[in-house]
Amino acid sequence: MAIAHRPLVRNFILGNFLFTDDQSAMTDSGSLITTGVVDSTGVLELITHLEEALSIRVPPEDMVPQNFDSVDAICAYLARKTAS
Amino acid sequence: MSLLPARLAAHAQSQRVAIAESTRSISYNALWAAVLRFAGALAQRGIGSGDRVALLLPNSIEAVVACYGSWIAGAAVVPLNVQARARDHTVWLRHAEPRLLVHQTASADVDEALAALEFPPLTIAAGADSAHAHSWAAVVDACAAVAPASAAHATDLALILYTSGTTGSPKGVMLSHANLAANVASILDYLQLSDADSIVSVLPFYYSYGASVLHTHLAVGARVCLEANVVFPQVLVERLARERATGFSGVPSTYALLLDRVSLAAHDLSALRYLTQAGGAMPAATTARLRLALPHARLFVMYGQTEATARLTWLPPEQLEAKLGSVGRPIVGVRITIRREDGSAAATDEVGEVWAQGANVMRGYWRNQEATAAVLHDGWLKTGDLGRMDADGVLWLVGRRSDMIKTGAHRVHPIDVEEAIAELGGVVEVAVVGIDDAVLGQVIRACIVRRGNLDENTVRAHCRARLAAYKIPKQVVFVEALPKTASGKIKRAEVAAQAASTGAN
Repeated sequence: MAIAHRPLVRNFILGNFLFTDDQSAMTDSGSLITTGVVDSTGVLELITHLEEALSIRVPPEDMVPQNFDSVDAICAYLARKTAS
Repeated sequence: MSLLPARLAAHAQSQRVAIAESTRSISYNALWAAVLRFAGALAQRGIGSGDRVALLLPNSIEAVVACYGSWIAGAAVVPLNVQARARDHTVWLRHAEPRLLVHQTASADVDEALAALEFPPLTIAAGADSAHAHSWAAVVDACAAVAPASAAHATDLALILYTSGTTGSPKGVMLSHANLAANVASILDYLQLSDADSIVSVLPFYYSYGASVLHTHLAVGARVCLEANVVFPQVLVERLARERATGFSGVPSTYALLLDRVSLAAHDLSALRYLTQAGGAMPAATTARLRLALPHARLFVMYGQTEATARLTWLPPEQLEAKLGSVGRPIVGVRITIRREDGSAAATDEVGEVWAQGANVMRGYWRNQEATAAVLHDGWLKTGDLGRMDADGVLWLVGRRSDMIKTGAHRVHPIDVEEAIAELGGVVEVAVVGIDDAVLGQVIRACIVRRGNLDENTVRAHCRARLAAYKIPKQVVFVEALPKTASGKIKRAEVAAQAASTGAN
């Protein structure tokens, strides 16, 4: 069965960067970078987690703000990635 | 020797780009006009010689204008870490007593810090919200320029750079205009920068390395291209290629990211002439990979301290292989000696404390005579770093005497983190130490003696609400007891040694 992307992304961010299980602690559309939720090592940890959980590989050229700066952007990217 | 305001003034007629953000830029000519308007706005408010102007700004055109504008007006600049939180801002603002704070609009931390002050400074808000009476547009852009005679003198205080936010004794490094001018001249002597150069800078101006990159390039009329962070290495490399940048400055973790997460060969980086690396030892393997990936760029390994403005030594690129692992020789105008515990000079290759002397050594810590007396001795700066000097006069660092943690581009005093954690209920006592990390140099570990069922997430969430993100411990471990001296002081070195021997978690 396909893994639901949104809870996968949200729960990792909540647990590893915000240290809470309170789902209201973050929004799906807000910038993860400018709000300081995720830093450079955080983005790498998140990508490694997604690569392992979804058996995908994120090439360097995909590591851009358009794909990873918000939960919505990440989910849209993952949808494209797993559809292809 | 020309002071920095005079060096910038020398380019006042130039139409070349001085600062390029990702979507806007400013020429030297327009920058100088903005600097004079800022100085005029200060003069109108009676702010000048003997006063301080605090900046809470990310790297931006406004941060540069406010810095040089304050200097023209005769005031000292206190650039504060924008990643820090209200608890740090309050301590620094109370300690520095600035007449003016220039900050970004809509910051809850700034509002909280200002509300906590008995005598809050005037404020200017830079940012999108221009309708505000204290906005940049209303205060600075609307101001008539003053005459371009700089009120800055060589011995005047130019910068206060805080290196710790500890409640009890904040350490603000006092640098004079002469300090800045001397260090810029020494760095230019070996980097040989000119107005044909351009650098992509990711290092914050409120750190000495970032300040040094900014001022050295402005001094020669070069172009400084600002990138907000290194979160997306791909974006950074694309910028380097697009700008045809001739230089880049980074800390070891920046270079590790670029090598691991981007295909450097896929981009045209042929314009890169120089790379600088400071901020802690870079693993030899990373250096070798960097040389292989960008063989045409000269790699300058450097060492220094905020207390020495920025730079103390440099390793000529031609000696990189022969002296790999060293930090090179003293920069022009600096003397380095290695001293034993008793203050006597160490022999060649004998390990001791690194002492430095030069026109770049700070005047002391702002309003902190005790801390100043501990590091300034007979005209020498005791760096707290341990090292040895070889027969060729090349310095090799072997460790640090102090507890400061180096993680990524950041310096973290353990006490700052310990104070925050100690405020959490259920914490009996805590020691914070740095643990070696392949990418970041060190990561922060908190060792806690707890009461009840305090868990790791509670500790980290507590830190997240109070500390800059980079100060949140990556590792939290609970222990039965912490090693102490007979007088009850926690032996942090022993905690670190225990942590290292048990590995991560």
